[in-house]
Amino acid sequence: MEFSGEFELEDVPPEKAWVVLSDPIAVRNSLKGCQYITPMDDDFGFDDYEPEEDVETLPEADPEDVAARAFVESQEYAALMQVGVGSVKPRFETSVTINERDHDDFIMTATGSGTASGSSFSMESGMQIYSLEDSEGSRIEWWTEADISGRIAQLGSRVINPVANKIVGNFFSDIEQQMSDVEETDSGITDRIRGML
Amino acid sequence: MSSDSERFAEAEDGGPQPEKHCGHGRGGMGEDVKRKEDQRFITGRGNYVDDIKKPDMLHCEIVRSPHAHARIENIDKSRALDVDGVVAVLTADDLREYDLATMPTLMADTQDVLVNDKVKFQSQEVAAVIATDRYTAKDGAQKVVVDYDVLEPVVDAEASLEDDAPLIRDDIEDKEDNHCLDWETGDEEATAEAFEEADVTVTEDMLYQRLHPAPIETCGAVGDYDPGKDKLTVHMTSQAPHIHRTLFAQVSGIPEHKIRIVSPDVGGGFGNKVPIYPGYVVAAAASYVLEQPVKWVEERSENIQSTGFARDYDMTGELAATDDGEILAVRTDVLADHGAYNAVAQPSKFPAGFFNIFTGSYDIDTAYGSLTAAYTNTAPGGVAYRCSFRVTEAVYLIERMVKVLADELGMDPAEIRRKNFIQPEQFPYESSTGWNYDSGDYEGALDKALEMADYDHYREEQQRRIDEDADKLLGIGISSFTEVVGAGPGKTCDIAGVEMFDSAEIRVHPTGNATVRVGVQTQGQGHETTFAQIVAEELGMDVEDITVEHGDTDTDPYGLGTYGSRSTPVAGAAAAVASRKVREKAKAIAANELEAAEEDITWDRESGEFHVAGAPDRSVTITEIAAGAYMNHPSSEEPGLEAVNYYDPPEMTYPFGSYIVIVEVDRETGEVEFEKFVAVDDCGNRINPMIIEGQIHGGLAQGIGTAMLEHVTFDDNGNVTGGDFMNYLLPTSMEIPNFETGHTVTPSPHHPIGAKGVGESPTVGSPPAIVNAVVDAMSHAGITHVEMPMTPDTVWAKLDEAGLATDPADSISLEFEDQSSDTTADD
Repeated sequence: MEFSGEFELEDVPPEKAWVVLSDPIAVRNSLKGCQYITPMDDDFGFDDYEPEEDVETLPEADPEDVAARAFVESQEYAALMQVGVGSVKPRFETSVTINERDHDDFIMTATGSGTASGSSFSMESGMQIYSLEDSEGSRIEWWTEADISGRIAQLGSRVINPVANKIVGNFFSDIEQQMSDVEETDSGITDRIRGML
Repeated sequence: MSSDSERFAEAEDGGPQPEKHCGHGRGGMGEDVKRKEDQRFITGRGNYVDDIKKPDMLHCEIVRSPHAHARIENIDKSRALDVDGVVAVLTADDLREYDLATMPTLMADTQDVLVNDKVKFQSQEVAAVIATDRYTAKDGAQKVVVDYDVLEPVVDAEASLEDDAPLIRDDIEDKEDNHCLDWETGDEEATAEAFEEADVTVTEDMLYQRLHPAPIETCGAVGDYDPGKDKLTVHMTSQAPHIHRTLFAQVSGIPEHKIRIVSPDVGGGFGNKVPIYPGYVVAAAASYVLEQPVKWVEERSENIQSTGFARDYDMTGELAATDDGEILAVRTDVLADHGAYNAVAQPSKFPAGFFNIFTGSYDIDTAYGSLTAAYTNTAPGGVAYRCSFRVTEAVYLIERMVKVLADELGMDPAEIRRKNFIQPEQFPYESSTGWNYDSGDYEGALDKALEMADYDHYREEQQRRIDEDADKLLGIGISSFTEVVGAGPGKTCDIAGVEMFDSAEIRVHPTGNATVRVGVQTQGQGHETTFAQIVAEELGMDVEDITVEHGDTDTDPYGLGTYGSRSTPVAGAAAAVASRKVREKAKAIAANELEAAEEDITWDRESGEFHVAGAPDRSVTITEIAAGAYMNHPSSEEPGLEAVNYYDPPEMTYPFGSYIVIVEVDRETGEVEFEKFVAVDDCGNRINPMIIEGQIHGGLAQGIGTAMLEHVTFDDNGNVTGGDFMNYLLPTSMEIPNFETGHTVTPSPHHPIGAKGVGESPTVGSPPAIVNAVVDAMSHAGITHVEMPMTPDTVWAKLDEAGLATDPADSISLEFEDQSSDTTADD
């Protein structure tokens, strides 16, 4: 299955959008059903891991913390996602590897796979942020190619597509809000973070 | 064995006569006796596998593969074992210690009980979690971590036979492709000649799509090993308990007398509960190892996705005929999808079942059929879903092709059938593919159906609608099918080597009532009533005085089970023959009671009494004889009054019928509505007409599901996209029209009571009648075929192809025009 789309943020310049989309906590907060996204090492266990509660994001968060936790190229991340599709609500234990992070052209790509009871998926995703020609804002393009197996896939695209679209739609409207918040309150912080990345 | 059959097959009144028996008010043959089993079913007292509860019973949940084709790299049980209440997690490695990692299928293929190395279809059994309750077992199953190396799947039979297709069966030595088997029947050369010389030939491609029998009760088992007695009891949803016991013994190495299979109330089988599934084996093995009862019951989606599917025959049919409609030859070529294992459930010498009955009800001199079967990354199957081993596919082929030929020649489809029917005087009739038809009067059944359907009227109405360019077209479909049911005989039919006979044992008790045990098993057919009626008829007893037992291998005589409409033709014959054996002994006892010579004792079917020839007032009833057998037995006889018969049928039986379906096809939406549905069946002598009527209704409903709704579908990744009741549509009362049923009676000459079996006729006979009706609505515009399931979009596409589809916008503008022309006229 392939999903793709784009959206525009008229008042958020690409640099700021990049900083927000580089923050696993900000991404987690916008992704409905996502319980955490955290770097994964060899000892990581989905059963044992307990995410920190109430972690601040920009603009309240300490810029150094945000810079420190930002996505890193070649790093593998663990994510726990619970998605309700039709009559099933699998809890996906997912690992995602950031394949590419291009700070100049604002490109990020990732591959990942997740398993849940009776379902599994693998995906290749990417995004790129462009400047808008007639304003300071950004245009963000994203794409995902997913192979889905098991119970969820059996429900067919008729059921999956609306759910996927809803998650993606929620994600971008929420992340847009976060970016706007950042934009409204401070203009120096994101530049500082970019410098630290 | 056979000498008994011969000796007792002939009743002293000259063998089977049409409707001669009429119950005599005691609930014998031909009476609408209310079903004995319904008392418990309608009061919620049925006892199904999932109702069975044992002290200390554990529960089993199967971990299934989300992938259709994948190599298992590792299975990590540790997280599942950490769950409180999880007792054990089993994988193929554990089963291998007991030599149970694989099991034979009914066609001698080897299927993994739990995946040994490579997953071959989605939802295949990978591991089993045993826990103290069902919920914990499910929680534990979610914690079993399986690492898969995902491989490319192939779910289409044609694609699987291409050179570059991924190899599915690398477990078979030297296997290099996905080819499963080839089969042929008939005379290829003579058929080719007939086609060359014929005035007319027609050909049509048709897919009998993959169906699932979908019994409402899913499969399940309670394994219960008793270490004290060293005995394994398995309560399971089985249509064939005895053969399952034999197979359990062969697979497990446990001696057969230490195994007891109990098939309690079973909520529908339809062929789905003939094979042995991994879940049964796992529940039994886990109980054996853990020495505690273990229950396994499938969920709905597990049943549809992993247990035996039906059909999936991609067929090409051809007929050769003269200009005036005489069929000279039939030819067919089939591509069969057998799934990941060859696990079709049919007699072992019949790799394509009884598909070679495809000459149908017609006297066709020349026939040839060929078939190739392929492995695909789909669940194994090809079970006989409410039919006798591929008869459904054969009937669909010939009944569809006759309609195609009729349209090609511009003949009435009723007339072309009449012209080609095997005639009553030709029976016993040997077909060109070697079947020996017992009896039939096909024209009689067709004539009755035509009359009931008011055929001529609807033909006129159909033409009127075409002439008037009506919004709804009328289609009239006919199917004049013949089945072949009641397998054996044992010399040709066997399951895993065991001959397909069946059995009945009758014990008449001192107070004059009786217990009858049969080797077949009921999944809702009404055996407890039907078999009691046979014995009541043959012994002059009241049906209320007879209890029928079945489904317990410890107490019932060995039998091959219920499928392929074999209960009445085989075990029903055994019940009649055993009754007649009892009757013979009863004569000796009667002679003793009446102080007469045994040869002077006759039995009167009407009164049910034994009397001295020429002195009807000197008589005794079976109740008095029963007392005599235990309290005053003659010195010439052993005490007691009982008999057993193992019946090896000399031939199969050939029930038949004519169905006429009249549909309205909406040119705007493609929706099909049933206007009339007539079913005339001939199953020989009828035991319980009310039960037959119920059987016909149920089977017709399933035929409608087949024709209109049901299809197990897959996506390219091998995901089952028709694997639950949201996506696999069963008909409900909303889709079922009113049925008009009728019957004719042509007894089977070789069956002790002249009966033929009826439970499957409607599923077999109705799909072609329905498709023929929908095609018939469009055949004036050149449509020759519509694939099943005939959903509105499928039908609309055909309407569109034929230039018959209308657009809603057109009908609105049409109304405008009408109004304006009316206005003009008024002016």
